[in-house]
Amino acid sequence: MVRRLLFVGAGVVVVIIAMVALVGNFMLRQPGPLGQGTTTNVHLETVAAVSDAVEWPRPDDPHPDWVAYLPTTILRVPANSTINVQIDQEDGATGLRNAFWGKVFGTEGGKMHKGNPQEGDMTSIDPTMAAHTFAIPDLGVFVPLLGVGDNAAPGTMNVITFSFKTKGPGIYHWQCFVPCAAGTVYGNGGPMQTLGYMGGELIVS
Amino acid sequence: MSLRIEPADRPHAIRLLVMWVILSIIGIIAVLQIHYPPYDQTIQGEDQSKTLALLTAMATPVFIGVVMMVIYSAIYFRRATAELVDGPPMLGNTPVQVAWIGISAIAVLFLAFVGVTTLASDNVAKLVNAPGRSINTGGQTGSATAAEQGKELQVQVVAQQWYFTYRYADYGGVETTHLYLPLDRPVELHVTSLDIIHSFWAYEIGVKADANPGVDNVFHVTPQKTGSFTVRCAELCGLWHGQMSDTEGKVVSQSDFDTWIAQQQQDYAVIQKAVPSYAPFYFPEPTVKGS
Repeated sequence: MVRRLLFVGAGVVVVIIAMVALVGNFMLRQPGPLGQGTTTNVHLETVAAVSDAVEWPRPDDPHPDWVAYLPTTILRVPANSTINVQIDQEDGATGLRNAFWGKVFGTEGGKMHKGNPQEGDMTSIDPTMAAHTFAIPDLGVFVPLLGVGDNAAPGTMNVITFSFKTKGPGIYHWQCFVPCAAGTVYGNGGPMQTLGYMGGELIVS
Repeated sequence: MSLRIEPADRPHAIRLLVMWVILSIIGIIAVLQIHYPPYDQTIQGEDQSKTLALLTAMATPVFIGVVMMVIYSAIYFRRATAELVDGPPMLGNTPVQVAWIGISAIAVLFLAFVGVTTLASDNVAKLVNAPGRSINTGGQTGSATAAEQGKELQVQVVAQQWYFTYRYADYGGVETTHLYLPLDRPVELHVTSLDIIHSFWAYEIGVKADANPGVDNVFHVTPQKTGSFTVRCAELCGLWHGQMSDTEGKVVSQSDFDTWIAQQQQDYAVIQKAVPSYAPFYFPEPTVKGS
């Protein structure tokens, strides 16, 4: 009888210690080394249809052949560091629903660089000429991407580069603010509502 | 007229009454310790909190009385045997019925009085977009309200998938990415949407307003405490609905507000000329149809 009670008591003590150790481990865990001061390069391509991509074509992809950011919309970057982004923008202009997003927000120096053809640094674009935006609202980063001309040869691209700084670890969503695809009447549909096309996650660790 | 209580039942009645009074007092004190939403960052938010506290405090004795009767009866008036037979017939008890109806009537009329006086306040009249139409003014203070309206700060909340932007009509319609409100100044919020139905929810300042395309939804708040507040979307609006929030809403002093809005006007001058002029609502269409 007494031995049984002792067993029960010991069991309860073991469970409590295990729980405290488990929870304490989470509470006391130090964040891993942060990428303080490091620089990471991100290279993306925006295309009218994923099969027509110049750099990452997906002709046999079983998924819808929508407008998209390629090669992926899940971006892994270090915390508290500088991210250099290059976007090869190959899509035509649709125009922004809110012209306000024609301005560049939150990048280094509040600007972006357009290099092909060379137009140098820009702080805003004509909102009606936007093809997409690369926006991370929780970091205050909003970059409008200039569309290529309607009669441009296939493969024509505007090479946009800019840099921004990440904050602490976390998952930040990023998206496009141009209603840029079929399925959009008054709200976003299709690629705008689907991970892997016009929106994704910036995983900061 | 006295309550006819059988001598055998008197101990029960006295016990129940004493227990009810004690538990009700404890219950009322307890529920008044709870924080009632939303928060007191605006006068309107504080009014909402106080009304909820009052309603909860009034409901507490009723709730305790009912629960106490059920539990007490289950314990003390339990049938000893398992026979399935009807209890003795109850042929009505006039004093009990009079007391029951009377107390209920008093409670309901008191709540009606509270509701009517709350509706009569200018704060509520403004909150429901009827300034000067509060039922206690009878249009007498129409001119004062007009003067007050003149100094109300007009702020437009523009919802879009998936971000809220704000436009300040009194400052050239400048559009901003965060909502700043000056302290102690009545604010007229105009809530609208550029695409689909959203809902502008700023918990701490006591506003939750539908954001519909083509509709100018007006709400009034008067901030009374400086500090931050969170803005989020309260209407499921698509893939990033859950991320459609901003923790950088702020109530700041008038001088800080002036500095901030001047900075916004300067920063956004480059795009302001492309932004459509300030209007109650907008019907934006992409200028070039997408592929």
